[in-house]
Amino acid sequence: MTDTTPPTPSRNLSFEALSNYAVIAAFVLIVVFFAIFADGFLSGENLMNLVLNKVVILAIVALGMTLVIAAGGIDLSVGVSVDLSSMIFIMMIAAGMSGVFAVAGGLAAAICVGIVNAILINRLKINPFLATLGVLFIGETVQRVSTQGGVPIYLTRGEYSAPFDAIVRTGLFGVPTPVIVLIVAALAVYIALHRSVFGRYVSALGAAPDVVRYSGIRVPLHMSMVFIACAAISGVAGILLSSTVRSYVPFSGDAFLLDAIGATFIGTAISAERRPSVFGTLLGVLLLAVMRNGLLLIGWNFFWQQVGIGVLVFLVLGVSFGLRRRND
Amino acid sequence: MTAPAIEMRDIDKHFGPVHALDKADLVVAPGTVHGLVGQNGAGKSTIIKVLAGIYRRTGGTVRVFGEQIEQITPAVIEAKGVHFIHQDRLLVPSATVAESVFLRNEPRVGPFLEHRTMRRRAQELLKTHFNLDLDPGTLVQDLSTAQQKIVQITRALANDARVLVLDEPTAALVKKEVDNLFEVLRRLRDDGLAIIFISHYMSEISEICDTVTVLRNGTDVGVVDPREVGIQRIVDMMTNRDTSEMYPPRDVTHGEVVLEMRDATAEPHFRNVSLTLREGEILGLTGLLGSGDKEVMNALFGQIPLDSGEILLRGKPLRMRSPVDAVGQGFAKIPEDRRAHGVATALSVRENISLASLLSMSKRGLVSRKDEARVVDDLIADLGIKTPGRDQLVKNLSGGNQQKVVVAKWLSCESEVYLMDEPTVAVDVGAKIEIFTLMNRLAAEGKSMIFLSSDLEEIVEMCDRTLVIYRGELIGEYAKGDIDADRLLAAASGAASDETPKERSTA
Repeated sequence: MTDTTPPTPSRNLSFEALSNYAVIAAFVLIVVFFAIFADGFLSGENLMNLVLNKVVILAIVALGMTLVIAAGGIDLSVGVSVDLSSMIFIMMIAAGMSGVFAVAGGLAAAICVGIVNAILINRLKINPFLATLGVLFIGETVQRVSTQGGVPIYLTRGEYSAPFDAIVRTGLFGVPTPVIVLIVAALAVYIALHRSVFGRYVSALGAAPDVVRYSGIRVPLHMSMVFIACAAISGVAGILLSSTVRSYVPFSGDAFLLDAIGATFIGTAISAERRPSVFGTLLGVLLLAVMRNGLLLIGWNFFWQQVGIGVLVFLVLGVSFGLRRRND
Repeated sequence: MTAPAIEMRDIDKHFGPVHALDKADLVVAPGTVHGLVGQNGAGKSTIIKVLAGIYRRTGGTVRVFGEQIEQITPAVIEAKGVHFIHQDRLLVPSATVAESVFLRNEPRVGPFLEHRTMRRRAQELLKTHFNLDLDPGTLVQDLSTAQQKIVQITRALANDARVLVLDEPTAALVKKEVDNLFEVLRRLRDDGLAIIFISHYMSEISEICDTVTVLRNGTDVGVVDPREVGIQRIVDMMTNRDTSEMYPPRDVTHGEVVLEMRDATAEPHFRNVSLTLREGEILGLTGLLGSGDKEVMNALFGQIPLDSGEILLRGKPLRMRSPVDAVGQGFAKIPEDRRAHGVATALSVRENISLASLLSMSKRGLVSRKDEARVVDDLIADLGIKTPGRDQLVKNLSGGNQQKVVVAKWLSCESEVYLMDEPTVAVDVGAKIEIFTLMNRLAAEGKSMIFLSSDLEEIVEMCDRTLVIYRGELIGEYAKGDIDADRLLAAASGAASDETPKERSTA
């Protein structure tokens, strides 16, 4: 017995739209704030640095995470995918192999992480949190063993430049390649999640996995694809990361884990349908990156920066859920 | 004069522009069972949720045993001894039976829980009130719906309830369990408890209730003694229409055999079950809780593997390893637990209806929104699904309309065999009639159905043939008109197991 009290769509929509715009407006306000008070925030150099070093790689990892969270899962091993891809890529370059092979090798390593996740979750029925946590630990060990306990590999000599230049320096119409990769990845994930049959199954899995099972859809297959896709996308991020810094630093992928999860959930909170979305995640990444960069530039004590980020997260959630409550 | 146990006067509740309750009264005397009836949307749930402190009323007064309560919260109302058995608020799945019974009232020594006492007392309570031997260490998620309901009621009893509010308590219970429950309710009433009883089953209302408040469009339209005025009058008050056509008539024409099950065994659920199903046929399947009737249906949907025997579709043996196989062969299931298995309530009507048939409305893996909208809109119109639009979330639809969304999902992928597991659970009279009409339509279009219901009257009225499962064995097959609900119950209880089963269908 459910009482039929459907909220009138127009009212509902206006509230949702309002909370959407509120967050976008908040983002614009934050940018304006830093533009005024943070010296050099709007300088070309800072913005380029912001986009290349703070946005692109995190955004790509967060896109993979968006798929997983949309399916109702979580992937704590994205850092491992980033790192192993980066490690294999750099090792192959160091061994004198061509850039194309090295990229393929890096991606293959990341995909292996995804396959292991998929097997743990779908075959052994371990819940995604624990399965990927285990892979996170194992991934760290693999890196330690492969690098004599975590020694970075730097490839700064000129002879290695060609593949890196090919990946980072060149670009179409003056747009740096990493940005183009991000745009392509965002489009691909957008189509996969929001336009394809696969994406529908993913959203349904996130909303009600049993309903998907009862509809005769292969749940394990689609869950596996989600985790493998997330790992592969993180692998792309790993290659961009090591190309940008021309080195492989063990465990550097871990830095993206919480931000990627945070960006995805910020994006979920601000999306009209309260679901993980590509647009929302990208906005979440931008919010986090701009806050970090801006706080640094206005000279906030580094120790206190995380407080700013924490307050931001609460504000975003507060605004969007507060407006939603009003509807109740 | 003693004050009423519950006295709600002129209760108003607005949801935005929707006026859910319009000066509704509900007055319940101690020592009575008070029925609350009305169609979906009449305001039953809303008034109960106002009393429970889940919704805040926009107007009116509430008194409990004469004491006026300004602001109701769930804790305040429970402290007054008013306990709720909500239909859709079940127990914590990962808790044990004992923990559930003593939730927030755990026996303890200092800060430590007395697990042993908890277990022992839970077991005693279940035994004395329901004559049920249930291991108190069992997890709630391993209980049947009926058992969960029983545990919920036991919890209220363990908390010394003075007023008990039961929202559709019998929805998933079989006759015997309902009788048990009623016995308990009568005893509690004689002990002076006030009981508010909400049910869609009018026969239960007239059987158990001393007084009935009828709600319509958010207002109470009458307080009557059901034994005096009769069911028909109450239904008329609820609906303002004539419901004598509860079970719409149907032209029965059966085509070829579509589905066969031959000597199917799946230990420990059922053994040597054979059945046939023809085009346009509605086959009833029934048995007591735990008899194996549900499992037979689950096996047909690939959810339980067969140890031996086979399932044939149009004479062709099938490999049924999972619902993927079943759906691929044209089987459709309307699951009992609609909210967990039938519809994704957080998704839209559109996404739910197209879920199983997306491949047919997509090109190169991409969904064609145009094709999807067309199919979905057609089905919404065709089945008369009441929704403001295809993008409305399913959780905002009534139970009957949610059920239609499930059926629409299967119609969109042209399923042939419909396995209906308690499709009428927790939907109101009007929606039931619509579901039956829909079943008749499916039959007329040549679809085949297996209909499982614990409401035996529905089975008797709707099914062309009915199979009875008792302790995992097919013990009887009855043609329409050969049996009534009482005899069917006797058969399901094993009383008729001496009779030679009529026309055992073994092709």
